[in-house]
Amino acid sequence: MFFMDVAMADRLQFAFTIMFHYLFPIGTMGLAPFIAWFTWRGAKGDAEAARAAAFWTKIFAINFAAGVVTGIPMEFQFGTNWAAFSAKTGGVIGQPLAMEGAFAFFLESIFLGILLYGKDRVSPKMHALSALLVAAGAWLSGYFIVATDAWMQHPVGYTFGEHGRIEMANLWAVLSSPFAIWQYLHVMTGALLAGAFLIAGVGAYYLLSDRDLAIGRRFVRAGVIVGTICAVLAVFPTGDRNGADVTAYQPIKLAAMEGLFDTTRGAPLAILGMPSARDKALLDPVFVPDLLSFLAYGNARANVNGLRAYATELWPPVELTYYAYHVMVGLGTIFIAIGGLSLLFLIWGRRLYASRWLLWLLLLSIPFPYIANEAGWTVTEVGRQPWIVYGLMRTVEGASPTVSSGETLFTLIGFLGMYFVLGTLFLFLTLRAIGDGPGVAHE
Amino acid sequence: MNSAAFVVLAFMLGAYVLLDGFDLGIAAIAPLIGRTDGEREAAMRAIGPFWSGNEVWLIAAGGALFALFPRAYASSFSGFYLPFMIVLWLLMFRGIAMELRGQLPTKVWRDFWDFAFTASSALLILLFGVALGNLIRGVPLDVDGYFVGSFGFLLNPYALLVGLTAVAVLALHGATFALMRIDGTPAGRAQALLPTLVAISLLGVLACTVSSLAIRWDDPPALWTVGLPVIALVALALVVRFARAGRGREAFLASSGLIVAIFGAAAATLYPMLLPGFHGSPGIGIFDAAPSPVALASAIGAVIVGVLAVCIYGTVVLLPRFREKVSVRLNP
Repeated sequence: MFFMDVAMADRLQFAFTIMFHYLFPIGTMGLAPFIAWFTWRGAKGDAEAARAAAFWTKIFAINFAAGVVTGIPMEFQFGTNWAAFSAKTGGVIGQPLAMEGAFAFFLESIFLGILLYGKDRVSPKMHALSALLVAAGAWLSGYFIVATDAWMQHPVGYTFGEHGRIEMANLWAVLSSPFAIWQYLHVMTGALLAGAFLIAGVGAYYLLSDRDLAIGRRFVRAGVIVGTICAVLAVFPTGDRNGADVTAYQPIKLAAMEGLFDTTRGAPLAILGMPSARDKALLDPVFVPDLLSFLAYGNARANVNGLRAYATELWPPVELTYYAYHVMVGLGTIFIAIGGLSLLFLIWGRRLYASRWLLWLLLLSIPFPYIANEAGWTVTEVGRQPWIVYGLMRTVEGASPTVSSGETLFTLIGFLGMYFVLGTLFLFLTLRAIGDGPGVAHE
Repeated sequence: MNSAAFVVLAFMLGAYVLLDGFDLGIAAIAPLIGRTDGEREAAMRAIGPFWSGNEVWLIAAGGALFALFPRAYASSFSGFYLPFMIVLWLLMFRGIAMELRGQLPTKVWRDFWDFAFTASSALLILLFGVALGNLIRGVPLDVDGYFVGSFGFLLNPYALLVGLTAVAVLALHGATFALMRIDGTPAGRAQALLPTLVAISLLGVLACTVSSLAIRWDDPPALWTVGLPVIALVALALVVRFARAGRGREAFLASSGLIVAIFGAAAATLYPMLLPGFHGSPGIGIFDAAPSPVALASAIGAVIVGVLAVCIYGTVVLLPRFREKVSVRLNP
């Protein structure tokens, strides 16, 4: 009778809705610091910066609205599709999620209101402060969400209550978990990288179109500088430290990410290759000897456990984890190259503004940080399987007992249709705003 | 403390009904108060600065329910899976309708989105009303607190009565808002419509009060709650009076009082349950559903801080905008 088990249908729906939703927080968290900077420069009398701020605020607002609309189903799904999980762990994860809503989301929406509509009503200083608080709200919002996820990756600060429920023992321990801090810094670096590449890419578009030249150069400059710094920070220290936490607390995920099946002393780092969980081997590998041991433990001869060291029922989906990880790392390397090259051409007598091929490269790069961000989250979440809370609760135990897989698939199809319309609308509004350009005063 | 959590939650939901109530309500009567393209566009512009902020109360209340009463959150959201999904889609569809309407100037395009706007809003009110009706009537739950009935069970005559009453009351609330915030013909039509809406609401409120008492005969609400239907009747009378005088702001305040009274009566009837059982099946109350006291206290604190911040923002930034009138454009 069943063609798919309920938890799998719930996972598919959650994966689709969260991946679609996350596109918009990337935009808001990535653009907010730039907007704060431009608004502050504008308040100091820099008219061009004020236009830049107004332009990016308009695009931010579209992202924010789409983020809110697609965020509601996320909040609902914990209850609708993952009722057993919510009932068992709600005493813990309800806390950071409520704080996200109460502190961060309200902060962000309130001051976005002032930023959008209050320009003539409040002083320039207050206006600049609102921009800063919008950024603070967006980044704080990210922290509470990542802290929730980090607890599911590495649960701390909890105790067992009645009926096997998990209750909060120490809220501060949950919020200040080292796992959360490094994961957060890595996530925010990724979002800022995407925002920077978006700004550089839009600037490149104006230069290539021979319009809005002065402000276009400013976009390219700001985007390239911040983007290159973030591309480096994404690898070191944030990616490296995040990886160290995975090595320490989730060794099976590490083995799946690297496609390492056999426990090896002096483990090699696979650059290419196709893992096969069925054959329990990495096919056609291209690797650098000893590098994985060195990266994971700081010692080229260190022992790294392979997947074979663990029961297969504890394996995450190996291929998906491996490919997502390699897409993220591969793109990250490319971002450093593109950023570094652009930075070089910028410093070298501002040649970047006249190098059409490099501007084209920047323009075409816009979507790829988004892909890298999504791939990174795929590693984190798929690699956590088969656990919904690592070591405490399995994903299959978390699904709603009253909802069938058919119901979930039906609503998944509904979301596909609704999000197609929403995505089209988002692209239309964003592209129109970019087409109108920063010269047009916003409503 | 558990009662405080209940009050906080009821406050948030009440704020949602009061605020999103007027923009859902004006949408439900948009074809009645706006006959031309420009008039209907004015009705949408009247709620333009508010509706998304109003919906934030629903999101916030959902988040608060999760933090304050995780067990009630889990069993209600999963138990009423399809109705919840339908509500989600209608909320999205309604926003899309408002956003897309103005993008093309053709008549068929705008007529379609106007219809979508009105139909999705009216259906949302009906569903919320049906949900409230079922909460008061009770739903069959198994020992783990999961809903074991069907969709058909939820569509019982009593819940439908509450749903239809909700449509009438919020349509009335929307009409007083239109009278307050729109200039010209739409306001006149809202004024003309109000006596009918008041009459239907009056019948609905009376029928709901009587049948609620009949349903909850074994477990009646506290005696003081008798005052709430009385306040509702006074508020209805005031709406009529102010509407006749064309005083939009006072009429809107009166219909706000009506909604607070009705919602307050519903919440007081429900207390101390969150999800009462049906005919002896176990229900979920404010003590079964809460997390550890430490977690509950910190959740209450967080939610109150958030609610206060929004209330301050609402009074300082949004309230002045209520007074600005929206006029009908010739070529929107």
